[in-house]
Amino acid sequence: MDARTDEPASAIVHGLVMPVMATQGSSSNLGGRALHALLRALSLAAIGSALLAGIVGGLLRAGVAVPLPAAEAAWPAQAVLGHAFLMMSAFMGSVIGIERAVAVKHRAAFAAPLLSMGAGVALLTGSPRAAAWLAVAAALVFVGVNLVVVERQRAPHTVLLLLGALAWLVGNLLLGLSPNATIAIPWWFSFLVLTIAAERLEMTRLMRCRRGTAAALYVCIAGVLLGAAAFAVSPIEGGLLFGLALIGLAAWLVAFDIARRTIAAHGLSRYMAVCLLLGYGWLGIAGAVWMGTSLGHPLRDMALHALGLGFVVSMMLAHAPVILPAVARIKVDFGGFFYVPLALLLGSLVWRLFVAPLQGVGPGAGALGNALAIALFALTMVGAAVAWRLRHPVRPRCAAAPAAGPPAPPARSP
Amino acid sequence: MNDAAPALAQPPYPYEGPAEFAVPVESALRQVVDPEVALSIVDMGLVYGVRVEGQQVQVRMTMTSAACPVGDVIGADVEAELGAVLPPGHEVEIEWVWEPAWTPERMSPRARSFMGW
Repeated sequence: MDARTDEPASAIVHGLVMPVMATQGSSSNLGGRALHALLRALSLAAIGSALLAGIVGGLLRAGVAVPLPAAEAAWPAQAVLGHAFLMMSAFMGSVIGIERAVAVKHRAAFAAPLLSMGAGVALLTGSPRAAAWLAVAAALVFVGVNLVVVERQRAPHTVLLLLGALAWLVGNLLLGLSPNATIAIPWWFSFLVLTIAAERLEMTRLMRCRRGTAAALYVCIAGVLLGAAAFAVSPIEGGLLFGLALIGLAAWLVAFDIARRTIAAHGLSRYMAVCLLLGYGWLGIAGAVWMGTSLGHPLRDMALHALGLGFVVSMMLAHAPVILPAVARIKVDFGGFFYVPLALLLGSLVWRLFVAPLQGVGPGAGALGNALAIALFALTMVGAAVAWRLRHPVRPRCAAAPAAGPPAPPARSP
Repeated sequence: MNDAAPALAQPPYPYEGPAEFAVPVESALRQVVDPEVALSIVDMGLVYGVRVEGQQVQVRMTMTSAACPVGDVIGADVEAELGAVLPPGHEVEIEWVWEPAWTPERMSPRARSFMGW
């Protein structure tokens, strides 16, 4: 499909997340703008509540005494039970759904994140079954969105994105059909891992790859999916394969990702590369620990959080300064402070997963550090957005403002 | 197609329009950087062509992925950078194209060197 045919519709679609477009003539009326502003506020509240409740649920699981507002409220118990669902399906699913909807420029694509946001709200209001099936509906729409992407660009990375969407659908279906969320977890992780791998595969096209590079990745991806599938019927073999595939994927990413090149750049580019490479390290650790868990070692917390926090959240920290401006039209000023939440996240994760068990203490302090790191990153993003606004006080047209402080050119010259 | 004189400089993409705008337009486009790769959209080979006709500026561009959400941000940056170097009154139009598809061969020698080719 030629994207040119879609352009006339894009202004309306993007109005959902971007009230003013430089090229659309600002023709939307006040009512439309108010509706868009309301949708944005509700979306932010739904995604924020999924993240916040997911974190609170995780802290309560880790034994942290979180002060809760009302004893009769149903959501803390749901947050504890649905921690993985909130973090992966409701939060990450919605964020990735918005990201993809912005890319395809189609109004209907926003149904996927709206449904997954609804799933999070349903869970927190005490309707876990409705939440599971809303998530199934979200994933179904998301699969359709990715089919559109594949139709526009038939490439290995778009097919991989589609596989990731299908993994999300399987995970949500398993939750809908069975109250046992455990068998859904490898599928939810597969959704995130495949989505990230697809985006990195796209970037590796910038580098010269040896023969067999792509085939090696496909073997790892097949291992991830087969391991997730086998986990439901044979947790030991499934877990071993899943962990082994994660190790292979980590090695592939370290070997072929452009981060090995862009770490020689400056500013935001280097920061992203640091996040990516550290995240790949955690992916490898997660794979090894996942295998250990499958063999009966009591390392489940370590396996889940090396992957979910060490890998996935590191990827989130890497991409958020680029993705936020794209989906919300909020520019940010990059600064060295971005390394602080990253350091806090990784430091607290090392404490939680390695130091605390050796000292015989629980994961609470480490988990609290993990939560503070995410909160500090959110504050960093807000501060970076305010800093950009302060440096650009006059903005006659929102979308026409230039990017602030673009990264310096590559350190290496030809 | 217009009857403007060909550009004196030779940008790494087809340029049609007044010769005096060729260099500033290219310089402006080189200010638009993809933060993920630390390369300008010109070095990345994402610019397929520029046409300046009267006060209309048409930039034909692509992205490396149809699933990439940053296209509109890059498009807005292109508009802003071109707006800063062209005389007032010029209107910039971004035309997103997917055919021919982007390939690594479109990268500049500088970009290919940076990426280890």
